[in-house]
Amino acid sequence: MSRDPLADDHLIPPYRVLDLTDESGVFCTKLLADYGADVVRIEAPGGDPLRAKGPFPNDAPHPEKSLSFLFYNTNKRSITLNLETEEGQSLFRRLVKKADSVVESLPVGYLKGLGLDYDALHQINPQLVMASITPFGQTGVWSKYKSSDLIAMAASGYMQITGEPDEPPVRQGNSQSVYPGAQYASVAILAALYYRDLKGGEGQYIDVSLHEALITYYTDAHPALAWKQMGQNVTRVGTTSTLVIPLGAYPCRDGWISAGIITPREWDTLAQWIYEVTGNAEILNEEYRGGNQDRAPHNDIITALFMDFTSRFTSEELFHQGQERNLVFLPVNDVSDLLLDSQLEASHFWSELDHPEVGPLKYPLGIFFSEEISPGYAPAPRLGQDNRVIYRDELGLTEQDLVRLRANGDI
Amino acid sequence: MSDKALAGVRVVEFGPYVALPLTGRILASLGAEVIKVETNKVLDEMAFIPAWSRGAGQPDYQRHKKRITLDVRTPQGRDIFMELIKVSDVFTTNFRRNILARWGIDFPEVRQVRPDIIIMWQTGLGGHGPYYTYKSYGILVQHMCGVSMMTGAPGAPPAAVNTSYSDYHTGVFQPAAIIGALLRRQRTGKPATLESSIFTSGAVTAGPALLDYQVNQRLPERRGNRDPHAAPHGVYPCKGEDRYCAIAVFNEEEWRAFCRVLGNQDWSEDSKFATLACRLHHQDRLDDLIGQWTSQRTAEAVMEQLQEAGVAASVVSQGQDLYDSEHLKSREFYRETKYYAAERGKSASEWEEGSSLSWSMPAHLSATPMEFGDYSNIGEDNPYVFGQLLGLPNDQLAGLVADGVVY
Repeated sequence: MSRDPLADDHLIPPYRVLDLTDESGVFCTKLLADYGADVVRIEAPGGDPLRAKGPFPNDAPHPEKSLSFLFYNTNKRSITLNLETEEGQSLFRRLVKKADSVVESLPVGYLKGLGLDYDALHQINPQLVMASITPFGQTGVWSKYKSSDLIAMAASGYMQITGEPDEPPVRQGNSQSVYPGAQYASVAILAALYYRDLKGGEGQYIDVSLHEALITYYTDAHPALAWKQMGQNVTRVGTTSTLVIPLGAYPCRDGWISAGIITPREWDTLAQWIYEVTGNAEILNEEYRGGNQDRAPHNDIITALFMDFTSRFTSEELFHQGQERNLVFLPVNDVSDLLLDSQLEASHFWSELDHPEVGPLKYPLGIFFSEEISPGYAPAPRLGQDNRVIYRDELGLTEQDLVRLRANGDI
Repeated sequence: MSDKALAGVRVVEFGPYVALPLTGRILASLGAEVIKVETNKVLDEMAFIPAWSRGAGQPDYQRHKKRITLDVRTPQGRDIFMELIKVSDVFTTNFRRNILARWGIDFPEVRQVRPDIIIMWQTGLGGHGPYYTYKSYGILVQHMCGVSMMTGAPGAPPAAVNTSYSDYHTGVFQPAAIIGALLRRQRTGKPATLESSIFTSGAVTAGPALLDYQVNQRLPERRGNRDPHAAPHGVYPCKGEDRYCAIAVFNEEEWRAFCRVLGNQDWSEDSKFATLACRLHHQDRLDDLIGQWTSQRTAEAVMEQLQEAGVAASVVSQGQDLYDSEHLKSREFYRETKYYAAERGKSASEWEEGSSLSWSMPAHLSATPMEFGDYSNIGEDNPYVFGQLLGLPNDQLAGLVADGVVY
C-alpha cells in the first residue's frame, strides 16, 4: 500500500498557532504543525534556548544545527519577538488578533505579569483557543513549583516503577515527560477548534497539567488504587515481571530479546518449544501450566529455564520463530535498528527532510498512515526566517520599522 | 449552544485492551457518544487487571461509554452492527482485517453502508509490511522502540517501566487524529481511513536521538538520572523505606539557593563544586554529600525546603503520595467511582459492584470541560442503543437475547 505521492491533503486546516512553548510543550505544537497547522514559533531575539541545546553535528554548537530544535520544530515557521518590551507586546497582540490558537508553557503567572494572559488576549480575539502546558497546572499548591523532566518523572511516580527493585528509581532516558501533556493538549486544542468552527462556539482556555498527564500514562500500574484498596505501594520490578512469567527483556546470544507469555495456550506452546530445544522436561511440569498467576510461585526456576533457552538463539531467530508460533517475541532495538527497520519503512514512518544547514535526514513524521492524508514535509525553520513575511506582508510594517525594532531589541 | 465540544459525534468502538478504549474515553469526555460493542463471552483481558481487584481498573478506560452486548459473528448481529454504523461518524477497532472480513464488517463493507465514516484502525506493529501480522504488547514495545536501551544506569542492562508503555501514546494520538479527520470531512466532504500503531507511537518517543544517530553515528548512553546540563541531578535517599527526593540544579543561581537550604556546608564552598562543569566532573562525590544530608530528612521536607528556595525538587511519588496529594485533591484529579468485579463464566449483569478510584482528564477546557461521566457495566446500555437509538421493538430485542445475539 502506498500513499499518493501527489497527496498534499493534510489532516487539519492551516490554523494559525502562535507557539510560546519550551521543551515541555513543544511536542504539542510539533504535532499540530505536522498535521497541517500554520505554527509560528516565537523566539526571543537571542533564539529559542532549544537552539543552544545539543546534540549538534560533530558536537559543534551552532544555533541552526541543534538536533533537538530540528526534531521538535518540523513544519513550523519562526519569527523573533521580545515579549518583555512594550513594542514586542504590542506586536504580539496584533498577531493574536489573527491567530486561531496560542500555546504556551511559561511559568504560571508570567504572561499575566505582561498583560498577555488569556483574559487579556480573549478581549482582543474572542475566537482564540489558548492552551497552557505547565508542570502542575494553573491552580493548586504545587502550581508555582519548579520542574524539569527528572522532577516530572519523580512527582508523577512514573520513575517509582522504572528500574531494578534493589536500585533507586530511574528516569526514562528519552525525556518521556515531554510527550503526555503535549499530546493531551493537542487533543484539547483540536476539540476546542472543532467546537468553535462546527458548533458556533467561542474560543476558550485550556489548562493542561503535565503532572496529571504523566500519571495517566501508567494507569495499569494503579498506584493510587493499590494504596486505597490494599495499603500497598507499587514499586519497581526490574526488566522482567514478577506477575506475568515470562514477560520482559532477556539476554540472548547477540544481545537482548523481549517476550511476553500471557495466555495458557501461549504457555503450552512455549513450554513445548523449550523442551524441543533444551531437552529439559522440567519445563513441562504440570504445575507451571495455566494463566500467568499460576506461574508466579515458580518465577525463579521458570526464568532460569527460559534464559537457558533464549541464550541459545539470536534476537532475530527468536523474534521470527516465536511469532511464527503465535508467541509475542519482539527485538530489543536501539535507535540505529529503528532507522533500518523494514516494518517502520513499510508504515511510511520516515520522511526525508532537507534542512538548509544540516542537510537531508529521516524524520519520524508517520505516526499514522493514511492513503488520503499526508503530514507536512518542511524542516525546522531558521531563526527569524519568517520575520519579513509576517511583520511586513501580514502586519504591514515597513523595512524602516523592522530596522528600528531590531535595533531596539524588540525583534 | 452546547457546552460539549464533540456533541453530535457518534463513535462505534470495537476492541479490547488499553489504547483503543482510552481513545474512546477521551472522545466521550469531550461530548461524543461512544458506543462500545462487546460480549459477555469473550472478555477483555484488561477486565481482570489489577489481579488483586479484578475490574477495578476498568473505569479508567471504559467510563462514559454506552456499552452494549452484540455477537457480530451471527448474521443478525452483523446486520444490527451495520445499522449502528449507519448512524455513526467514527468507527474505531483494533481487530485484524481478516477477522473483520470473516464477520462481514471489514472496512469496505462499513464504508458501503456509511460512505463518509472516519475509520481508525489501531494496530500493534502496522497495517501492512513484512511483519504486520505479528503480535505485540505495549509493555514490550518500550524495548522495541529504542527507549529501554537508553534507560538505566551506565553499564547496567536496559531498564524498563512496569506499564503498557506506548499503548498510552497511541491512545492519546488517536483522538487528535480522529478530531482532525472530522474537521477535514467537514472541510472537504472526504472520509478517511487512518492506521495507527503501538510501534510507531513508541518509536517517535525515541526523540532527537533518532537524528543524533544519523548525523553523528552516536547511540544514546544510559545515564541513569544524570544530565549533561545539570548537577546535582538525581534522586537522593530520604528517611523511610524506598523513599527518594529528586533534585535538579541547572544554573549557578539555583546552586547558591541549594547551598543555602543545606545550611552552607563546608563542602559547598569547595572549588570542586564551583561551576557546573566542576560539579559534573565531581558528581559521585557531590551525590554522596547530598545523600548524607537528605537521608536524615523526609522526602517531603527536602522537596518543600528546596522548592521554597526556587530549586526544582520532588518526592518520588508512591501510590500513597498520589492518593493523599493535597495538590491533586484541589484539582479533583482522583474521583470515586463504582466498578464491577469481573468473573469468568458469569454474565456481567451478575458481577458484584464495588468502589474504585478513577482519574479525571488532565486537560481542563474552560468552555467545554472534559467530563468525568458515569460508568456503565457491559450491556447496561442495550435498552438505550437497541431500543431508543435503533428503534428495535421490545419483542425483537427479546428474541435476539433468546437467540444469543445480544448477550
